[in-house]
Amino acid sequence: MITAERKPLSEIKEMIAPYRKILIVGCGSCVAECASGGEKEVGILASLLRMDARKEERDIEVKEITLDRQCVYEFIDQLTDLIDKYDAVLSLGCGAGVQAVAEVFSQAIVVPALNTTFIGETKEAGLWVENCRACGDCKLGYFAAVCPVTRCSKGLFNGPCGGSKDGKCEVDPDTSCAWQLIVERLDKRGQLDLLEKVYPPADWSRQQGKGPRKIKREDQTI
Amino acid sequence: MDQKSAGLKVTFFFCQQIDEHQDVNRRALEKEFGSEIRFFPLPCSGRIEPQHLMRALESGADKVYVITCPEGACRYREGNMRARKRLTFAQGLIEEIGLERERLELINLPAGTITTIDKLARELLAREALVGPSSLQAQALEGKKLGVA
Repeated sequence: MITAERKPLSEIKEMIAPYRKILIVGCGSCVAECASGGEKEVGILASLLRMDARKEERDIEVKEITLDRQCVYEFIDQLTDLIDKYDAVLSLGCGAGVQAVAEVFSQAIVVPALNTTFIGETKEAGLWVENCRACGDCKLGYFAAVCPVTRCSKGLFNGPCGGSKDGKCEVDPDTSCAWQLIVERLDKRGQLDLLEKVYPPADWSRQQGKGPRKIKREDQTI
Repeated sequence: MDQKSAGLKVTFFFCQQIDEHQDVNRRALEKEFGSEIRFFPLPCSGRIEPQHLMRALESGADKVYVITCPEGACRYREGNMRARKRLTFAQGLIEEIGLERERLELINLPAGTITTIDKLARELLAREALVGPSSLQAQALEGKKLGVA
Protein backbone atom coordinates (compact mmCIF):
# COMPACT_ATOMS: atom_id res chain seq x y z
CA MET A 1 0.00 0.00 0.00
CA ILE A 2 1.11 3.53 -0.74
CA THR A 3 0.89 5.71 2.35
CA ALA A 4 0.47 9.45 2.58
CA GLU A 5 -0.20 12.22 5.06
CA ARG A 6 -2.26 15.34 4.63
CA LYS A 7 -0.35 18.54 4.02
CA PRO A 8 -0.75 21.35 6.55
CA LEU A 9 -3.93 23.29 5.85
CA SER A 10 -1.92 26.50 5.38
CA GLU A 11 -0.06 24.93 2.43
CA ILE A 12 -3.28 23.63 0.88
CA LYS A 13 -4.92 27.04 1.28
CA GLU A 14 -2.03 28.75 -0.42
CA MET A 15 -2.28 26.44 -3.44
CA ILE A 16 -6.02 26.88 -3.90
CA ALA A 17 -6.13 30.57 -2.96
CA PRO A 18 -6.67 31.85 -6.54
CA TYR A 19 -9.67 29.58 -7.06
CA ARG A 20 -13.26 29.76 -5.86
CA LYS A 21 -14.79 26.49 -7.03
CA ILE A 22 -12.85 23.53 -5.71
CA LEU A 23 -13.39 19.87 -6.54
CA ILE A 24 -11.89 17.64 -3.85
CA VAL A 25 -11.11 14.21 -5.28
CA GLY A 26 -10.36 11.37 -2.87
CA CYS A 27 -9.14 7.87 -3.60
CA GLY A 28 -10.75 4.77 -2.12
CA SER A 29 -7.67 2.56 -2.33
CA CYS A 30 -4.31 2.88 -0.53
CA VAL A 31 -4.75 6.36 0.92
CA ALA A 32 -8.19 5.41 2.24
CA GLU A 33 -6.62 2.47 4.06
CA CYS A 34 -4.06 4.76 5.68
CA ALA A 35 -6.81 7.26 6.59
CA SER A 36 -5.42 10.18 4.62
CA GLY A 37 -7.34 10.37 1.35
CA GLY A 38 -10.55 8.33 1.50
CA GLU A 39 -14.14 9.45 1.62
CA LYS A 40 -13.99 10.42 5.30
CA GLU A 41 -10.88 12.52 4.82
CA VAL A 42 -12.40 14.20 1.79
CA GLY A 43 -15.40 15.13 3.95
CA ILE A 44 -13.23 16.48 6.73
CA LEU A 45 -11.09 18.59 4.41
CA ALA A 46 -14.16 19.93 2.60
CA SER A 47 -15.73 20.96 5.92
CA LEU A 48 -12.52 22.60 7.08
CA LEU A 49 -12.13 24.58 3.87
CA ARG A 50 -15.75 25.72 3.88
CA MET A 51 -15.60 26.76 7.55
CA ASP A 52 -12.28 28.50 7.03
CA ALA A 53 -13.63 30.45 4.07
CA ARG A 54 -16.69 31.46 6.07
CA LYS A 55 -14.47 32.70 8.89
CA GLU A 56 -12.44 34.77 6.48
CA GLU A 57 -15.54 35.97 4.63
CA ARG A 58 -14.39 34.39 1.42
CA ASP A 59 -16.78 32.90 -1.07
CA ILE A 60 -15.92 29.29 -1.87
CA GLU A 61 -17.69 26.29 -3.33
CA VAL A 62 -16.39 22.86 -2.49
CA LYS A 63 -17.60 19.63 -4.06
CA GLU A 64 -16.57 16.20 -2.77
CA ILE A 65 -16.04 13.03 -4.76
CA THR A 66 -14.06 9.87 -4.04
CA LEU A 67 -12.96 7.57 -6.84
CA ASP A 68 -12.36 3.88 -6.20
CA ARG A 69 -8.87 4.35 -7.67
CA GLN A 70 -7.40 7.65 -8.70
CA CYS A 71 -4.57 6.14 -10.76
CA VAL A 72 -6.69 4.19 -13.25
CA TYR A 73 -8.36 5.81 -16.24
CA GLU A 74 -11.63 3.86 -15.96
CA PHE A 75 -12.21 5.43 -12.54
CA ILE A 76 -10.84 8.87 -13.37
CA ASP A 77 -13.36 9.00 -16.20
CA GLN A 78 -16.06 9.63 -13.57
CA LEU A 79 -14.76 13.21 -13.42
CA THR A 80 -15.44 13.85 -17.10
CA ASP A 81 -18.71 15.76 -16.76
CA LEU A 82 -17.70 17.34 -13.49
CA ILE A 83 -14.21 18.70 -13.73
CA ASP A 84 -14.98 21.57 -16.13
CA LYS A 85 -17.39 23.04 -13.62
CA TYR A 86 -14.59 23.70 -11.12
CA ASP A 87 -11.67 26.09 -11.06
CA ALA A 88 -9.28 23.60 -9.48
CA VAL A 89 -9.02 19.98 -8.38
CA LEU A 90 -7.64 19.31 -4.92
CA SER A 91 -6.49 15.72 -5.05
CA LEU A 92 -6.40 13.51 -1.99
CA GLY A 93 -4.76 10.76 -4.01
CA CYS A 94 -1.12 9.71 -3.85
CA GLY A 95 1.37 11.32 -6.22
CA ALA A 96 0.42 8.79 -8.89
CA GLY A 97 -3.25 9.70 -8.57
CA VAL A 98 -2.61 13.44 -8.77
CA GLN A 99 -0.55 13.00 -11.93
CA ALA A 100 -2.99 10.57 -13.51
CA VAL A 101 -5.89 13.01 -13.10
CA ALA A 102 -3.77 15.87 -14.47
CA GLU A 103 -2.74 13.69 -17.41
CA VAL A 104 -6.32 12.84 -18.34
CA PHE A 105 -7.56 16.41 -17.91
CA SER A 106 -4.57 18.37 -19.13
CA GLN A 107 -6.40 21.71 -18.98
CA ALA A 108 -7.39 21.29 -15.34
CA ILE A 109 -5.51 22.78 -12.41
CA VAL A 110 -4.74 19.77 -10.19
CA VAL A 111 -2.97 20.26 -6.86
CA PRO A 112 -2.01 17.72 -4.19
CA ALA A 113 -3.44 17.78 -0.67
CA LEU A 114 -1.24 14.90 0.47
CA ASN A 115 2.43 14.22 0.88
CA THR A 116 2.96 10.71 -0.49
CA THR A 117 5.24 8.99 1.96
CA PHE A 118 6.14 5.33 1.46
CA ILE A 119 5.09 1.80 0.55
CA GLY A 120 4.17 0.02 3.72
CA GLU A 121 1.85 -2.18 5.67
CA THR A 122 -0.84 -1.53 8.24
CA LYS A 123 0.99 -2.83 11.29
CA GLU A 124 -1.91 -2.23 13.64
CA ALA A 125 -4.86 0.13 13.81
CA GLY A 126 -3.45 3.61 13.33
CA LEU A 127 0.13 2.49 12.62
CA TRP A 128 1.65 2.21 9.15
CA VAL A 129 5.23 1.11 8.66
CA GLU A 130 7.47 1.31 5.62
CA ASN A 131 8.60 -2.11 4.40
CA CYS A 132 9.33 -1.80 0.67
CA ARG A 133 11.47 0.60 -1.38
CA ALA A 134 10.17 -0.69 -4.71
CA CYS A 135 13.78 -1.34 -5.71
CA GLY A 136 12.76 -3.54 -8.62
CA ASP A 137 15.08 -6.40 -7.66
CA CYS A 138 13.41 -8.13 -4.73
CA LYS A 139 15.62 -10.25 -2.47
CA LEU A 140 13.00 -11.13 0.13
CA GLY A 141 13.34 -14.82 -0.78
CA TYR A 142 16.87 -14.83 0.63
CA PHE A 143 16.05 -12.95 3.79
CA ALA A 144 13.01 -14.70 5.28
CA ALA A 145 10.71 -12.04 3.82
CA VAL A 146 12.30 -9.19 5.78
CA CYS A 147 13.68 -6.48 3.51
CA PRO A 148 17.13 -5.44 4.76
CA VAL A 149 17.26 -2.47 2.39
CA THR A 150 14.09 -0.95 3.79
CA ARG A 151 13.84 -2.21 7.33
CA CYS A 152 17.48 -2.01 8.37
CA SER A 153 18.04 1.65 9.23
CA LYS A 154 21.45 1.42 7.57
CA GLY A 155 20.10 -0.44 4.54
CA LEU A 156 22.67 -3.21 4.96
CA PHE A 157 22.60 -6.21 2.64
CA ASN A 158 25.38 -7.79 4.66
CA GLY A 159 24.24 -7.28 8.21
CA PRO A 160 23.92 -7.29 11.08
CA CYS A 161 25.97 -4.23 11.95
CA GLY A 162 26.44 -5.28 15.58
CA GLY A 163 24.90 -2.12 16.98
CA SER A 164 21.51 -3.47 17.99
CA LYS A 165 20.48 -3.91 21.61
CA ASP A 166 17.77 -6.26 22.84
CA GLY A 167 16.65 -6.72 19.27
CA LYS A 168 16.22 -2.99 18.71
CA CYS A 169 18.06 -0.76 16.26
CA GLU A 170 20.70 1.62 17.59
CA VAL A 171 19.52 4.28 15.15
CA ASP A 172 15.93 4.10 16.40
CA PRO A 173 15.17 2.10 19.55
CA ASP A 174 11.50 1.89 18.48
CA THR A 175 12.51 -0.12 15.41
CA SER A 176 13.26 -3.82 15.50
CA CYS A 177 16.66 -4.78 14.14
CA ALA A 178 15.85 -6.14 10.67
CA TRP A 179 18.87 -8.42 10.75
CA GLN A 180 17.91 -9.93 14.07
CA LEU A 181 14.48 -10.65 12.59
CA ILE A 182 16.09 -12.21 9.52
CA VAL A 183 18.44 -14.44 11.48
CA GLU A 184 15.80 -15.53 14.00
CA ARG A 185 13.23 -16.31 11.32
CA LEU A 186 15.70 -18.23 9.15
CA ASP A 187 16.86 -20.15 12.22
CA LYS A 188 13.28 -21.08 13.07
CA ARG A 189 12.77 -22.31 9.52
CA GLY A 190 16.03 -24.21 9.45
CA GLN A 191 17.23 -22.00 6.58
CA LEU A 192 20.27 -20.31 8.13
CA ASP A 193 22.35 -21.78 5.32
CA LEU A 194 20.79 -19.17 3.03
CA LEU A 195 23.04 -16.61 4.70
CA GLU A 196 26.12 -18.61 3.71
CA LYS A 197 25.38 -18.30 0.02
CA VAL A 198 27.00 -15.69 -2.16
CA TYR A 199 24.53 -13.75 -4.29
CA PRO A 200 25.14 -11.45 -7.22
CA PRO A 201 24.94 -7.77 -6.32
CA ALA A 202 21.54 -6.10 -6.52
CA ASP A 203 20.71 -4.48 -9.84
CA TRP A 204 20.15 -0.90 -8.68
CA SER A 205 19.53 0.21 -12.23
CA ARG A 206 16.09 -1.29 -11.81
CA GLN A 207 15.34 1.36 -9.20
CA GLN A 208 16.92 4.49 -10.56
CA GLY A 209 19.11 6.00 -13.23
CA LYS A 210 16.91 5.28 -16.24
CA GLY A 211 14.08 7.73 -15.70
CA PRO A 212 10.53 6.72 -14.83
CA ARG A 213 10.19 2.96 -14.74
CA LYS A 214 7.65 1.17 -16.91
CA ILE A 215 6.08 -2.26 -16.92
CA LYS A 216 4.67 -3.34 -20.24
CA ARG A 217 2.81 -6.59 -20.83
CA GLU A 218 1.46 -7.42 -24.22
CA ASP A 219 -1.09 -9.86 -22.81
CA GLN A 220 -2.68 -7.01 -20.87
CA THR A 221 -2.89 -4.59 -23.76
CA ILE A 222 -6.04 -4.14 -25.83
CA MET B 1 -23.10 33.27 31.83
CA ASP B 2 -24.54 29.82 31.18
CA GLN B 3 -24.69 28.36 27.71
CA LYS B 4 -28.44 28.79 27.40
CA SER B 5 -28.25 32.51 28.25
CA ALA B 6 -25.28 32.91 25.92
CA GLY B 7 -27.56 31.77 23.12
CA LEU B 8 -25.27 28.96 22.04
CA LYS B 9 -26.42 26.33 19.61
CA VAL B 10 -25.43 23.06 21.19
CA THR B 11 -25.16 19.60 19.66
CA PHE B 12 -25.05 16.45 21.75
CA PHE B 13 -23.68 13.20 20.41
CA PHE B 14 -24.26 10.60 23.05
CA CYS B 15 -23.96 6.91 23.72
CA GLN B 16 -27.54 5.71 23.95
CA GLN B 17 -26.54 3.09 26.49
CA ILE B 18 -26.50 5.83 29.15
CA ASP B 19 -30.28 6.23 28.96
CA GLU B 20 -32.38 3.39 27.63
CA HIS B 21 -35.39 5.73 27.27
CA GLN B 22 -33.42 8.50 25.54
CA ASP B 23 -35.83 8.52 22.65
CA VAL B 24 -38.68 9.70 24.89
CA ASN B 25 -36.62 11.64 27.41
CA ARG B 26 -35.08 14.07 24.96
CA ARG B 27 -38.34 15.06 23.26
CA ALA B 28 -39.48 17.64 25.83
CA LEU B 29 -36.09 19.30 25.68
CA GLU B 30 -36.10 19.34 21.90
CA LYS B 31 -39.50 21.03 21.92
CA GLU B 32 -38.40 23.56 24.52
CA PHE B 33 -35.17 24.58 22.79
CA GLY B 34 -36.14 24.01 19.16
CA SER B 35 -33.23 24.39 16.76
CA GLU B 36 -30.91 25.63 19.51
CA ILE B 37 -30.05 22.06 20.47
CA ARG B 38 -29.66 18.85 18.52
CA PHE B 39 -29.33 15.30 19.77
CA PHE B 40 -27.59 12.49 17.95
CA PRO B 41 -27.88 9.15 19.75
CA LEU B 42 -25.11 6.72 18.91
CA PRO B 43 -25.23 2.95 19.42
CA CYS B 44 -21.81 3.43 21.02
CA SER B 45 -19.72 6.58 21.42
CA GLY B 46 -16.99 4.73 19.51
CA ARG B 47 -19.10 5.32 16.40
CA ILE B 48 -18.22 9.02 16.43
CA GLU B 49 -15.90 10.18 13.67
CA PRO B 50 -14.09 13.51 13.29
CA GLN B 51 -16.20 14.06 10.19
CA HIS B 52 -19.40 14.07 12.30
CA LEU B 53 -17.92 16.73 14.55
CA MET B 54 -16.85 18.85 11.57
CA ARG B 55 -20.29 18.60 10.03
CA ALA B 56 -21.92 19.60 13.32
CA LEU B 57 -19.80 22.75 13.57
CA GLU B 58 -20.23 23.51 9.90
CA SER B 59 -24.00 23.22 10.12
CA GLY B 60 -24.27 25.74 12.91
CA ALA B 61 -23.29 24.30 16.28
CA ASP B 62 -21.37 26.64 18.58
CA LYS B 63 -20.58 23.85 20.99
CA VAL B 64 -20.51 20.09 20.50
CA TYR B 65 -20.58 17.55 23.31
CA VAL B 66 -19.73 13.89 22.94
CA ILE B 67 -21.16 12.08 25.96
CA THR B 68 -19.79 8.65 26.67
CA CYS B 69 -20.52 5.96 29.21
CA PRO B 70 -17.97 5.62 32.06
CA GLU B 71 -14.54 4.33 31.11
CA GLY B 72 -14.42 0.61 31.68
CA ALA B 73 -18.19 0.35 31.29
CA CYS B 74 -18.45 0.40 27.51
CA ARG B 75 -20.71 -2.38 26.30
CA TYR B 76 -18.37 -2.80 23.34
CA ARG B 77 -15.27 -2.59 25.55
CA GLU B 78 -13.33 0.35 24.12
CA GLY B 79 -15.82 2.61 22.39
CA ASN B 80 -15.52 5.51 24.80
CA MET B 81 -11.72 5.41 24.60
CA ARG B 82 -11.93 5.67 20.82
CA ALA B 83 -14.36 8.56 21.14
CA ARG B 84 -11.81 10.42 23.25
CA LYS B 85 -9.03 9.90 20.70
CA ARG B 86 -11.19 11.01 17.80
CA LEU B 87 -12.42 14.08 19.60
CA THR B 88 -8.83 15.04 20.42
CA PHE B 89 -7.93 14.60 16.74
CA ALA B 90 -10.88 16.77 15.70
CA GLN B 91 -9.83 19.46 18.19
CA GLY B 92 -6.50 19.65 16.37
CA LEU B 93 -8.31 20.00 13.06
CA ILE B 94 -10.47 22.94 14.12
CA GLU B 95 -7.48 24.69 15.63
CA GLU B 96 -5.98 24.71 12.14
CA ILE B 97 -8.74 27.09 11.08
CA GLY B 98 -8.57 29.14 14.26
CA LEU B 99 -11.55 27.71 16.12
CA GLU B 100 -11.16 27.09 19.84
CA ARG B 101 -10.68 23.45 20.80
CA GLU B 102 -13.17 23.99 23.64
CA ARG B 103 -15.93 23.98 21.05
CA LEU B 104 -15.61 20.21 21.12
CA GLU B 105 -15.87 18.61 24.54
CA LEU B 106 -15.94 15.04 25.76
CA ILE B 107 -18.12 14.22 28.73
CA ASN B 108 -17.02 10.93 30.18
CA LEU B 109 -19.68 10.05 32.77
CA PRO B 110 -18.33 9.03 36.18
CA ALA B 111 -18.61 5.36 37.08
CA GLY B 112 -21.96 4.39 38.52
CA THR B 113 -23.82 7.35 37.02
CA ILE B 114 -27.51 6.72 36.52
CA THR B 115 -29.08 9.58 34.64
CA THR B 116 -31.29 10.50 31.73
CA ILE B 117 -30.21 12.39 28.65
CA ASP B 118 -32.55 15.33 29.30
CA LYS B 119 -31.24 15.78 32.85
CA LEU B 120 -27.68 15.53 31.65
CA ALA B 121 -28.24 17.97 28.80
CA ARG B 122 -29.82 20.50 31.15
CA GLU B 123 -26.83 20.22 33.48
CA LEU B 124 -24.45 20.83 30.60
CA LEU B 125 -26.47 23.76 29.28
CA ALA B 126 -26.37 25.30 32.76
CA ARG B 127 -22.57 25.22 32.76
CA GLU B 128 -20.65 28.40 32.21
CA ALA B 129 -20.11 29.09 28.54
CA LEU B 130 -16.40 28.64 27.81
CA VAL B 131 -16.89 29.82 24.24
CA GLY B 132 -19.19 32.38 22.69
CA PRO B 133 -21.23 32.06 19.53
CA SER B 134 -19.00 30.67 16.83
CA SER B 135 -17.25 33.15 14.60
CA LEU B 136 -18.50 31.00 11.74
CA GLN B 137 -22.08 31.95 12.51
CA ALA B 138 -21.16 35.58 13.11
CA GLN B 139 -19.48 35.77 9.73
CA ALA B 140 -22.40 34.03 8.07
CA LEU B 141 -24.85 36.53 9.59
CA GLU B 142 -22.60 39.43 8.68
CA GLY B 143 -22.33 38.03 5.17
CA LYS B 144 -26.09 37.89 4.86
CA LYS B 145 -26.35 41.50 6.00
CA LEU B 146 -23.76 42.47 3.43
CA GLY B 147 -25.40 40.32 0.83
CA VAL B 148 -22.30 38.27 0.13
CA ALA B 149 -23.47 34.93 1.55
